[in-house]
Amino acid sequence: MPFREVNSKMIEATVLPGQRLFSQRGAMLAYKGEVSFTPNIQGGQGGIMSMIGRRVANEATPLMTVEGSGTVLFGHGGHHIQVISLTGDTLYVEADRLLAFDGTLQQGTMFLGSQGGVMGMVRGQVTGQGLFTTTLKGQGAVAVMAHGGVIEVPITPQRPVHVDPQAYVAHHGDVRNKLSTALGWRDMVGRGSGEAFQLELSGSGAVYVQASEEKL
Amino acid sequence: MFRLQGSKVLAVDMTGDAVKAKNGSMVAYDGQMAFKKLSGGGEGIRGMVTRRLTGEQMTVMEVKGHGTCWFADRASEINLVGLQGDKLFVESSNLLATDAGLRTGTSFTGLRGASQGNGLFTTTVEGHGQAAITSDGPAVVLRVSSQYPLTVDPGAYIAHQGNVRQSFQAGVTFRTLMGEGGGEAFQIRFEGDGLVYVQPSERNTIAGDL
Repeated sequence: MPFREVNSKMIEATVLPGQRLFSQRGAMLAYKGEVSFTPNIQGGQGGIMSMIGRRVANEATPLMTVEGSGTVLFGHGGHHIQVISLTGDTLYVEADRLLAFDGTLQQGTMFLGSQGGVMGMVRGQVTGQGLFTTTLKGQGAVAVMAHGGVIEVPITPQRPVHVDPQAYVAHHGDVRNKLSTALGWRDMVGRGSGEAFQLELSGSGAVYVQASEEKL
Repeated sequence: MFRLQGSKVLAVDMTGDAVKAKNGSMVAYDGQMAFKKLSGGGEGIRGMVTRRLTGEQMTVMEVKGHGTCWFADRASEINLVGLQGDKLFVESSNLLATDAGLRTGTSFTGLRGASQGNGLFTTTVEGHGQAAITSDGPAVVLRVSSQYPLTVDPGAYIAHQGNVRQSFQAGVTFRTLMGEGGGEAFQIRFEGDGLVYVQPSERNTIAGDL
């Protein structure tokens, strides 16, 4: 179920009978046809166990199930929207940045400590993203929100990409991430360049970066 | 080597050279980069003294390396400015990045600065190279020539370059004082030959209230 970009801050989704999609609660702007919106107490799919998982992981953004037949316009808070198509790979994104996604995608949570060990946990704390992140896997489209426009930076094995943790939006592909520090004595005495922490992504895939250092 | 990726992200391709950029404005890079803090407002002891006096305390970093570095600032629009030996006057808050070869300094703006609410001093950029300035909404570049002087709202002004004289105009009348003003009590008038960058948004200034 593809999303069509109406403009940079609004997308249109076509809902067909027998298919469903999930969206952030309250993100519907308008709809045509017979479409029902039901609050999803589980905050996604995967049954009770994964619901508990998300609760524990604090990745339980209120979601709603969108079903029926028609077209729905989504947008939220005037944020820019980027549509990302997945072809069997996994997208890593913060739950609160998820605007809408295909119901066929497998939703899960990932413990950041499982990548990069202790540094991964430190990364979650430093970037204010917490210790868990949401994963979406399969074939389908995802709409993510960002402050300002989004650029897609390819990651290739020869060229790792470093990202400002505050500007990081999402990434997909076979990518390892770790927090790299450029902390020198200058940063300690308050004369740093303001770029003390960076997220290093290596492997092959792509990272999405927003044109702002502001969180949503 | 400065290029825009969309209207809000500046990409700079570097091969061992350096750029100066606003502190903390890097959003991503590939390759090898080093970040070092500089202090804005001009180099050397004199620059330091003027910085202290003027309060035009731009914090700048030097970015040096091989690869591509992306810069952005709070989702504001970015405009590229080419300098061929002339001088660019810009508010330090609107200056995102410059070629390392360009000299930066401060200059006195007089009444214009006071009316803008941005202080009495502004940043100058001089030399040969490129600079990137930010604006709230896409900026327009207006040409000033000897036949056609230009008048700009202080809140919408962001930068100007070239051989331009600026004067401050106050349209404060009896009606303004009575609270019946048109909301355009102050203007900056540009005369000479050059370019003025205007954003489609107005900062909060005294001029807006009168």
